[in-house]
Amino acid sequence: MKSLQKLMGIIVLAVLLLSACGSPQPAAAPTAENAQPTAGAKTPLLIWYWGEQEAPGMKSFMEKAVQIYNQENPNMDVQAILQESDSLYPAFRAAAAAKQGPDIQYFWGGTQALPDAWMGNLAPVSDYWSQDELNHIPAGQRAETFWDGKQWGVPFYQIGTFWAYNKKMFAQAGLDPANPPATWDEWLAACDKLNAAGITPIGTGFKDGWLGGWMVSYLGQQNMNSIDDLMAAIKGDKSLTEPMYAEWWTRWKQLQDHKCFNDDIMSLDLYQGQDLFEQQKVAMTNHVEPYIAILERKLGADTVGVMRTPAYGTGKLANSVGIPAQVLAITSFSPHKQEAADFLKFLHREDIMKMMYDMSGAITPDDRFKSEWLNVNSDKQIMEWRSKYPLFWYQYYYPPIWETEGSIALGQLLVNGEITPEEAATRWQAVAEKWRQDNPSEVDAYKKWILPPAMFNQ
Amino acid sequence: MTTALPKKKPVATWALAYLYLAPALIFILVIFVYPVLNLIWRSLTQVTEGVTRWAGLESYRATLSDPVFWQALSNNLRLFLAVPILVVLSLIISSIIFEQIRGWRVYRTIVFIPYVLAIPVVAIVFNNVLQLHGVFNTFLSSIGLKSLTTDWLGTSRTAIWAIMFVVIWKELGFGVILFLARMSSISEELFDAAKLDGANWFQRLWNVTIPQIATVIEFYVVIELITMFSWVFAYILVMTKGGPGTSTWVMEFFIYEKAFPYSQMRIASAGAILVLFFASILMFFQARLRHRVEDING
Repeated sequence: MKSLQKLMGIIVLAVLLLSACGSPQPAAAPTAENAQPTAGAKTPLLIWYWGEQEAPGMKSFMEKAVQIYNQENPNMDVQAILQESDSLYPAFRAAAAAKQGPDIQYFWGGTQALPDAWMGNLAPVSDYWSQDELNHIPAGQRAETFWDGKQWGVPFYQIGTFWAYNKKMFAQAGLDPANPPATWDEWLAACDKLNAAGITPIGTGFKDGWLGGWMVSYLGQQNMNSIDDLMAAIKGDKSLTEPMYAEWWTRWKQLQDHKCFNDDIMSLDLYQGQDLFEQQKVAMTNHVEPYIAILERKLGADTVGVMRTPAYGTGKLANSVGIPAQVLAITSFSPHKQEAADFLKFLHREDIMKMMYDMSGAITPDDRFKSEWLNVNSDKQIMEWRSKYPLFWYQYYYPPIWETEGSIALGQLLVNGEITPEEAATRWQAVAEKWRQDNPSEVDAYKKWILPPAMFNQ
Repeated sequence: MTTALPKKKPVATWALAYLYLAPALIFILVIFVYPVLNLIWRSLTQVTEGVTRWAGLESYRATLSDPVFWQALSNNLRLFLAVPILVVLSLIISSIIFEQIRGWRVYRTIVFIPYVLAIPVVAIVFNNVLQLHGVFNTFLSSIGLKSLTTDWLGTSRTAIWAIMFVVIWKELGFGVILFLARMSSISEELFDAAKLDGANWFQRLWNVTIPQIATVIEFYVVIELITMFSWVFAYILVMTKGGPGTSTWVMEFFIYEKAFPYSQMRIASAGAILVLFFASILMFFQARLRHRVEDING
């Protein structure tokens, strides 16, 4: 009888424990009330961020910034944890499902961030930042996470995405190092000349797929006149097989036909391909602003130059520049949203913005960031372009599936010569149609994404 | 003299039995049943702006009408071709080692080493080996077979087969060790009798070894089928990320892509349930086959 009682006791205990662990409802979200620290205790603030990969020094900067913030705010206990590229999103989605995790989450911008707003994982930053404060951020960069009349992400740092070129190799091939190719024909001719001189024109990698998002953003918008043209294709009012949307596939193929890329492009990941430029084995590479500046410092301003993507298009966006912003956002399940917003404001303080630039080369998109702080030519050039040309980065506006099954998957087949540009356009349209059919709620979300062209300096 | 046991009420016996079973039942319910039910729930609902709504079978329709889903499934089925190759190679190698040829201990160790290596390590190494300018192509060129060189992982035509080769390379050691362990427990008399009857090496393998280790072979086949169906994600992620195009997508990768990069948890859940369904069919046929074999063997 005693053993039976014991068994009963164990079972009851097990049931209680397991029912606590295995509730079909997600764990209750911490609320402002239950998450308030007790008197004298510090308010915890957890940040999951990324960026060391494209702005080396970002980790040191964040550690320093957190240290300063904690010193200035003794009631706060901020912790920043660097994430890996492959786990950045999976880890956050798991945290969001459990309603437990970071107070501030890093996102690649635009539609790499907004789906989480649509899923209810984010709180609008504009609920905590005044319009005056938001206005310090260039509108074109704010637009990437401005949805349904609210701001969902605060630009953390900008990643001007351009082409670094080797001036000495250009000279060696008989090209003018001071005037890199600006038109499409000039670019193809440059590839031919470099090849003739025994120099691989562009070094990059496509095995990991990331290049697909870059290529569509360099080329895909050149026939568009405004963001509305892209939105029309996303909503299904226009077809991706129309020349306005499809020509870029042909242009990409032309680069391939002129042997502009390294022959092992499909064997290398993006960073491995970009490294060929640093090793001075190729004349050009696609890269982001902080890293181009590093290359300039490392190889010298007499060797490294920066150029825009040569234009082929006839649209108003043919000369647009891609200077998108990576963003930080406040999570909807954070019990400390106001504190999170305050920390984001701290990152936009002048001394902190300067510190980030000095330590990582990353530029905060903010009009309080002073041009005189810039210490390399490429950064100065990019800042000049930012004020001169429309800002537009295709990748940050289209649904992610357009990339994974479109610009990446179809781009790889195009580069391999397994499909033609026409087939790529047709299959891309099929991907878009399937996405619309399967995701009516996301299509609805896009319908609410109304962005005045004025935000893009258009 | 025997003492009659006191009679217990049947209901009390029945209740006590379930009481003893309860901890295991609860454990199974929580660890195995709950996640499946949760997946089913997610596949039938949709979260929009933080609100969960009933979506019915829409996610299954979307999944089953997705050509990438079928491509992923067909790649899993292609990887099944690795299983007979693994069984044959494991049998041959373990039989040779079993003969205790000179240096057999060293060979046994060498064959087993790949199995203990972490998949990402193996995948990264073969990433480099199979590059366009990698070791393998350099080797082919050096022996006059330059025409055979290709970007093994960067071409749709070869990528899934290159991955299959790497999986075989890694999994082979497990089969060899498993078969060797079973062979060492077979009675020597059986082999001696076969030798006296004049059986050669192959006849002994076919008529003695294989029937004796049949249950282990069956176990290995099942384990490897499961591996090919639901344990190849790490190879794909590290070696090709599903590319070129979607040529190396497998079911696990499909689920991962839908769940995280695409943020389509409901499609991922539907995919997971469909995988479970296909795996159940596989297990059902495997069980049927086993019963038939047992019936034939009496």
